Amino acid sequence: MSIVNGFYTVRLVFSKTGRARYISHLDLNRTMARVLRRAGIPLWYTEGFNKHPYITFAAPLSLGCESLCERMDFRLTDETLSMDEIVARVNKAMPEGLQAISAAEAVRKMSAVGFAKYRLQLSCDRGIVGAFLEQPSIEVEKKTKKKGGVLTVDIKPHLQIEEIKGETATELTAILPCSNETTVNPTLLLTARSAFAGREIKASSLRLELYDIDGEIFA
Amino acid sequence: MPTLDELFLSVQKPSRYTGGELNSVMKDKAAVDVRFAFCFPDLYEVGMSHLGMKILYGLFNEQPDIWCERVFAPDTDMEALMREHDIPLWALESRDPLTAFDFVGFTLQYEMSFTAILNMLDLAHIPVRSADRDERYPLVVAGGPCACNPEPIADFVDIFFLGEGEEVDLEVVRLYQQMKKDGSYSKAAFLHAAAQIEGVYVPALYEVSYNEDGTVAAVTPQEGVPATVKKRIIRDLDSCYYPKSFVVPFTDIVFDRAQSEIFRGCIRGCRFCQAGFIYRPVREKLPEVIDRQSHDLCRSTGYEEFSLSSLSTSDYTKLEELLPMLLEWSEREHTNISLPSLRVDGFSEELAQKLNVLRRAGLTFAPEAGTQRLRDAINKNVTEEEIFRTVTKAFNAGWSAVKLYFMMGLPTETFEDVAGIAELGQKLVNLFYQNPNRPKGKGVTISISCACFVPKPFTPFQWEPQDTAEQLAQKQEHLRQSVTTKKISLSMHDNTTSYLEAVLARGDRRLCAAIEEVWRRGSKLDAWSEHFDYDRWMGVFADLGIDPAFYANRRRSYDEVLPWDHLDYGVTKEFLIRESKKAHEALTTPHCRQQCQACGAACWKEGVCVEHR
Ligand code: SF4
Ligand code: SF4
Repeated sequence: MSIVNGFYTVRLVFSKTGRARYISHLDLNRTMARVLRRAGIPLWYTEGFNKHPYITFAAPLSLGCESLCERMDFRLTDETLSMDEIVARVNKAMPEGLQAISAAEAVRKMSAVGFAKYRLQLSCDRGIVGAFLEQPSIEVEKKTKKKGGVLTVDIKPHLQIEEIKGETATELTAILPCSNETTVNPTLLLTARSAFAGREIKASSLRLELYDIDGEIFA
Repeated sequence: MPTLDELFLSVQKPSRYTGGELNSVMKDKAAVDVRFAFCFPDLYEVGMSHLGMKILYGLFNEQPDIWCERVFAPDTDMEALMREHDIPLWALESRDPLTAFDFVGFTLQYEMSFTAILNMLDLAHIPVRSADRDERYPLVVAGGPCACNPEPIADFVDIFFLGEGEEVDLEVVRLYQQMKKDGSYSKAAFLHAAAQIEGVYVPALYEVSYNEDGTVAAVTPQEGVPATVKKRIIRDLDSCYYPKSFVVPFTDIVFDRAQSEIFRGCIRGCRFCQAGFIYRPVREKLPEVIDRQSHDLCRSTGYEEFSLSSLSTSDYTKLEELLPMLLEWSEREHTNISLPSLRVDGFSEELAQKLNVLRRAGLTFAPEAGTQRLRDAINKNVTEEEIFRTVTKAFNAGWSAVKLYFMMGLPTETFEDVAGIAELGQKLVNLFYQNPNRPKGKGVTISISCACFVPKPFTPFQWEPQDTAEQLAQKQEHLRQSVTTKKISLSMHDNTTSYLEAVLARGDRRLCAAIEEVWRRGSKLDAWSEHFDYDRWMGVFADLGIDPAFYANRRRSYDEVLPWDHLDYGVTKEFLIRESKKAHEALTTPHCRQQCQACGAACWKEGVCVEHR
């Protein structure tokens, strides 16, 4: 562990499930800053007029989606705390539904994330899911960065279906792009499927793992 | 029926409804005796900012056999879904509907929340009228500043708590527990027994009769019920319960920070200010207690900011002792201190610098009135000299924007006083341009915000008429014309809300029917201007034959029986009459620490009333 410029960066892997899945990305930042302060972690603060701790997340999770593989970086001023100690302290300070799994020194940039694996529980039978996936193209509407802008994209080439289980309630495991360039979040997929089926299909989604562009687990 | 989880994904800011925030309290409902649903009749963002709720939430939950949960008014998108799918209003922690609770308690912070109370009861499938609720329903209780005249909502609430709640709330819950245990409980028997506790007002046990001219003739208690109900105060704040932790919301709220109460009450007695009278006497906490409580709160919440809470921070007698104690750890832990309602004057140079007082206080003043004569009449002791002194310091330090708060329609106000508001603004503009050290290359901005005065019970102005809409419109126009420079920006509040506040604040029980009807016709979040529908209220008053001007615009005589005369807040009517007369002669009254005015609050023999002077 090395302190450079007065800090070193720790990457925490944590899960976000149950009630915590309704914490928006923006709110998570504030929540985690307070968790770390409560945990008595010696945080490094930015300089300047409005000092705040440095905290950043990999690949924002959409509201309502659960996850077993969130990653958060923060900076410490002191290297005496062991990683196990950090995990233990953070867990004591976490609200219901957030749980630290492991911590390690952060090496790669968060922007190296390329893909994410999701498990979706769908309230429709396998036949519909099959037919949906066999369409020549799957078009979804995405909001663009410009205000009010909408773009239609075909996500079919991006879908990597790993597994389909169950007959009436279907469980689908899929790897979706999740990088700065392209992101397909499970909500998009669901909207497209509901449109296809002509009725609202309910689903719960769980993010299982993050991968880099080469398909290796992102650490 | 969709599950709550399915609803959450269809609404704005779902974490307002999910519960599960840091420090929220979960208990095993089978292991508790009493369940208390603490309801704030407004949205989560507003309610979660309120200190009183945090105190009582912590206090109740410290008792192993009581579980207190939080409830807020749903926003319109959520309410639409709840009504569509017939999902009753739930408490955040257990997600159980309110009908599963023993007590449903509301805090009454402002009159405009009254319709929200009815709406929340209805959303919970609880009948809104007390008389329609038998033993199958929770008891509906309420406290807070508006409980000092609870008559306009007397038909809806079973029990009002007068004054500070920390002791009396628990006493009532314990009485309930005991009567349930020994089998003597019925709603009627319980209410009768509770009414014997000091600070408990059970409106159903009092009958109101009226004179032919519409004024109150008498308020008659049932047999065995006290004729007057006296408010409760906490005698010793240092030993009184204060929460060691706050629930920390996920979403942004109005005041998202830790709050430490430093004293209750206010020494000043500005004549328009209800808080200055109903919270008497001033009782301070010791600096070491405040220091410990602040530090505990910051540690348990992780908050990066805490504020010292009181009606007037600068009047805390040990501020110069307290601030260094707080700075000692807060700087080290990167925690900000915010000092609301601070006067910039009167700090030592060193502390002022260290605290950066100017930045903290901002350049905000509340002279409330435009001329010294009117400021004397309302007993607001802010002088032009004091403002000029502070503003000059600030201009020297590079500031170029000042905010001023005023009220319009104050008793005895003339057009000259109204023009005085613009003149004061103009003097500040001149002060800026005459200052050789002013920030170069910048213009000055004086923002003037002008609210409409609402006469309130338990103030020396409780007998005063509110200006009519026409009078206020004329005054507003006069002010607009008196401002002759673009350096002054004017913002004037819409007076329809103030008018309704004036009706409700001094209303009697005959208004219950109107509140119920206006709610049935769709009013529910009246505190939000986008939801407030003035015409609907006026339509209901007309249909029910109620004259709102009778409540808002009528001058009462000193010997009229006021709807809240059977409630005792310590300050006596004689004192308020004295103050009212002095107002009409534009005579000021010294504050508690200069000279006691024998206002009546010395009956508790506490705080400022027994301080050495
Ligand atoms: S200083 Fe005046 S306005 Fe402020 S709280 Fe005290 S009495 Fe009220
Ligand atoms: S009795 Fe005197 S000191 Fe006590 S609150 Fe009243 S005026 Fe102030």
